[in-house]
Amino acid sequence: MSRVRFALCSTVVIVLGAVTLIAPATSQTPPTSPTPQPSQTPQASQTPQASQTPQASQTPKSGGVLNMMLREDLSQGFAIHETSTISSVWPVMPCLSNLVLFDPLKKTESVDTIIGELAEKWSWQDNYRNLVFFLRKGVKWHDGQPFTSKDVKFTFDVLREAADAPAKLRINPRKDWYANVEAIETPDTHTAVFRLKKPQPSLLLMLASGYTPVYAAHLSPANYRTTCVGTGPFKLKEWRKGEYVEFVKNPDYFVKGRPYLAGLKYFVIVERGTRQAAMQAGKLDVTFPGETTKTAAEQLKKAVPQLVVTPYSQNVTDNIIMNVKKPPFDNPKIRLAVSHAIDRRALIQAVHQGGAVVGAALAPKPWGFWGLAEKDLVGLPGYGAKPADEKALARKLMAEAGFSPEKPIKVEIVTRAIAIYVDMASFVINELKQIGIDATLKQIETAQWHATATRGDYQIGANLTGIGPDDPDANYYENYACGSPRNYSQYCNEEVMKMFDAQSQELDPKKRLALNVAIQKKLEADAARPILDWKIDFFTVWPHVKNLIPHQSIYNFGRMQEVWSDK
Amino acid sequence: MKTYVAQRLVIALLTLLGMSMVIFTLLRLAPGDIVDILFSTAGFVSPSEKQAIMKELGIDRPYWVQYLDWLRQIVTGDLGKSYRYDQPAWQIIRPLVPVTLELAALSTLFAVLIGVPAGVVSAVRQDTTLDYVLRVFSLAGLSMPAFWLGMVIILGLVTWFAWIPPLTYVGPTEDFKLHAVQFLLPALAVGYRSSALIMRITRSSLLEVMREDYIRTAWAKGQTERVVIWRHALKNALLPVVTVIGIEFAFLIGGLVVTETVFNLPGVARFLVQAILWRDYPIVQNLVMFIAIVVILSNLLVDMLYGVLDPRVRYGG
Amino acid sequence: MAVRPAEIAVPAGARPRAGTWSVLWRFARKKPLGAAGGALILAMLLTAVFAEFLQTHDPIATDAAYTLGAPTAEHWLGTDHLGRDIYSRIVHGARVSLIVGVASTLMGSVLGGIIGLLSGYIGGKTDLVTQRVLDILQGLPLLVLALVMSAALGPALHNVIIAISIPIIPRAARVIRSSVLSIREMQYVEAARALGVRHLRIAFRHILPNTMGPFIVLCTAQLGSAILVEATLSFLGLGVPEPYPSWGRMLSVSAAEYAQKAPHLVLFPGVAISLAVFGSNLLGDALRDTLDPRLRGAG
Repeated sequence: MSRVRFALCSTVVIVLGAVTLIAPATSQTPPTSPTPQPSQTPQASQTPQASQTPQASQTPKSGGVLNMMLREDLSQGFAIHETSTISSVWPVMPCLSNLVLFDPLKKTESVDTIIGELAEKWSWQDNYRNLVFFLRKGVKWHDGQPFTSKDVKFTFDVLREAADAPAKLRINPRKDWYANVEAIETPDTHTAVFRLKKPQPSLLLMLASGYTPVYAAHLSPANYRTTCVGTGPFKLKEWRKGEYVEFVKNPDYFVKGRPYLAGLKYFVIVERGTRQAAMQAGKLDVTFPGETTKTAAEQLKKAVPQLVVTPYSQNVTDNIIMNVKKPPFDNPKIRLAVSHAIDRRALIQAVHQGGAVVGAALAPKPWGFWGLAEKDLVGLPGYGAKPADEKALARKLMAEAGFSPEKPIKVEIVTRAIAIYVDMASFVINELKQIGIDATLKQIETAQWHATATRGDYQIGANLTGIGPDDPDANYYENYACGSPRNYSQYCNEEVMKMFDAQSQELDPKKRLALNVAIQKKLEADAARPILDWKIDFFTVWPHVKNLIPHQSIYNFGRMQEVWSDK
Repeated sequence: MKTYVAQRLVIALLTLLGMSMVIFTLLRLAPGDIVDILFSTAGFVSPSEKQAIMKELGIDRPYWVQYLDWLRQIVTGDLGKSYRYDQPAWQIIRPLVPVTLELAALSTLFAVLIGVPAGVVSAVRQDTTLDYVLRVFSLAGLSMPAFWLGMVIILGLVTWFAWIPPLTYVGPTEDFKLHAVQFLLPALAVGYRSSALIMRITRSSLLEVMREDYIRTAWAKGQTERVVIWRHALKNALLPVVTVIGIEFAFLIGGLVVTETVFNLPGVARFLVQAILWRDYPIVQNLVMFIAIVVILSNLLVDMLYGVLDPRVRYGG
Repeated sequence: MAVRPAEIAVPAGARPRAGTWSVLWRFARKKPLGAAGGALILAMLLTAVFAEFLQTHDPIATDAAYTLGAPTAEHWLGTDHLGRDIYSRIVHGARVSLIVGVASTLMGSVLGGIIGLLSGYIGGKTDLVTQRVLDILQGLPLLVLALVMSAALGPALHNVIIAISIPIIPRAARVIRSSVLSIREMQYVEAARALGVRHLRIAFRHILPNTMGPFIVLCTAQLGSAILVEATLSFLGLGVPEPYPSWGRMLSVSAAEYAQKAPHLVLFPGVAISLAVFGSNLLGDALRDTLDPRLRGAG
């Protein structure tokens, strides 16, 4: 064989070798069929079936270890109070307890689904000005120390940064949740009273979130960065850095007969593909909240039809932050134009393959309690039925500001250097191009993101926001209040602030709901932080996992005390 | 010989010192520090809290103070505390080292097992079809991105054998079979790539030696091919190969970073990437110095080995 | 029958035009593997230059209706998770990989070459000190240094080029320096010095052209390396950022996640990278055999 020919042959052989690997596989995968566009009302098939609520017919079995996944190692160990990420809450909730918690067995969280943990009974007094907790007796910390009201006072004095607090958190992201707490009194070892400055029904819901466990008074808060001493249903067995976190059943748990499981193991698997494969192979029993897209869930279900997939709203939004203190977004017309220009529904299709829903500042119905329904959204910028009309309106607004697609304004859009954010930003860039905004993408490394956003070192950004409980107070004060560090757009409207305060103190639920509808409409009309979508997670479990019911917020259902395994 | 070693040691120390300065400076150049990252996990930034944490960790001091402090720590054997985990760095790194060392050793073993015989065959059958095939095969290994090879291997195994890499590290004492499987595949992937260089050196070195007079004399004397190659040529041809094996071992680190990531092995290399992203200065600095020491030591060893094996070579040139 | 370095280093114009083609033809016949490598590199070059003409779709246009599609007549290599055409992205990826690869290789090799030239020619203490400094840079594995540099500089095209070129400098300096050391003692250099020619002139006019052989070999060898490092950096998330399609980034997150459903996401970009590096390695090998048989043994 001539050498030239041989040389060419060897190159071809390599390429062919690679192609033969894929040929059998690709011929079997049909292209994704186009999903119909505007219908975003969740189909009946998507809402969890009635059979998802507790199986009264089956008696729970004891024993078994649940294998779960983490997308990254614990960032600050078990110090929930010093972090704000699901990566911290999900694997740490099992070893801690709250005063109260949302009932794990009810998927919709509200004030009616709150159950007691360390608090046996509680009651509002003085027109929602004082919250009294009657604490459980005989509860022990994992290291044997008894639990008393001292621990409650310690935790919440530290959290609200009381002047005489015995310790200090290194980082305190939810200090504002307790801004309304005037003092915490402990009349005896098993009673704790929260005295508030103003009535605030929401406080109870914030205390019921996975973000609000009780720390031990006899330990320094820094301890929780390395180990977990709690009163929860599971005790920490081992934390092998970068590999896994392992828990075992707490035999002295204050709820007799719980937990059912003998142990929990959370494996750190950074590679998405490996996570999927492990889930498929049954090596993992449960997916990580917020990590399973629609496509991934379809892939899993196709490979293993008996998997149980439950779509639910994660309480996480994609949104656009615009620096209102810097040109050009100090001009409200341009901000409004941006909001009109972005076709929310198309974005949901393009970026999430249909795995998200439209909504305003609070989680939309039926996924959340306070959000606007589809019909209320129609009038708001960006949610119109005809995207072309929306864009025309946007162009008109831009023209008033002096710009057009022929004479565009150049801006820089920032986002985190992570694939999903970049995809979102890329879509937005495309939309803005059509109305006269020429945006270039600048990726910011994780280390820099919050610093950049807080400093206001940007013009426009594609952002993601997660909120603890589905509660207006938790949301508004963090993200829209004047001077809040997380109000990245630095939007400040005194009139709206008054509306926030009004709804916070409103005791009539119907009135409060109406106030919130008005607030949400105002926020979208002001284009304060246009919400692009509410992400839906497709939580997937193997059928033998029972009683693990996702709630309308990923941060609140990780305690695992009711979960049992039918193996 | 003594002055040779002594001189090399001094130079090695100076080089290490220089490297420490480079890595220290580069890290500080990177925008953002651990405090920024801590705040990003908390979802916000508070300037006053930031100052407090910087003070606590000691990163608010001037750079030269921090540098000298670090040097002092190394000399006293204190590797510092990880910024991320709040625990002594050594405690965190210690369980990772055996994983990486084992992977590196196995990879080198595979590289030699694949590379040397391939090189010998290729040299002995020079310019035949077999030679070309082997050269292409080895060059293909050098051309593929290490992580891609790993991904393709895993993809193949998942698709055809429904196999996935074990979720955690399985020690050799726990379950030897699983442990073997867990390490053999990545070692093969990395070894295949390293073998390319070894194969080429073996081949060219053997070719050169085969042209030497004493080999031609052996041929003329009528010795069989096996005796000529194995007994005479190979011994001398392997000298440069040993050098390359030593150098390759040190340069494995690059391939190990991605391989550990793709195959989910809890090794030092994978951890290094995480530490860089987290600006965990103590971990990154000490790990990179560790790698540098390994590289320099292996270079030193190889040099000395060369000096011992080949009487013609001595430092001074 | 090796071609002597002097033949190639002779200034342009000294040979008749037709000679260039016959040189190339002889090269192709003697070194078919090298020619194949050269052809691959040429193909990549042409793809990069004419990307706009070769593409079938806009590489950044998303298509929500057709995500993760298998290769068909419309999408030759299928689509990715956002519905973007993979073939077009690979075609444009050639541009990025080539720009990064060539720019960093040239930058690193030229800088390193100059350092090596001066260090080798001047000799003495300067040489000693320079050597140690280069040792320091070279002591750190290529990927680790590029990683830290990339993190230090931030995700941007020019930063990636700088990050990859830095580790190349010491390697280039080494090669050129050893070449200079051997040429320095040659007779025609001694003659030039005896004639009173200034050092700088000797360095650049006489020695430099004769290091061209090793320099070219070095460049082609490092090109493959540079392309691989860029791919690895992109895979790890530190390389060239959006919207430039990069082969390495096409292989990261999304590919791994959807690999089972759409293996073509993983395979095609990887094959592209491998072919490019393969070509550069083949060409580099052949050039080395041709231009400087003495270097055949050096890895």
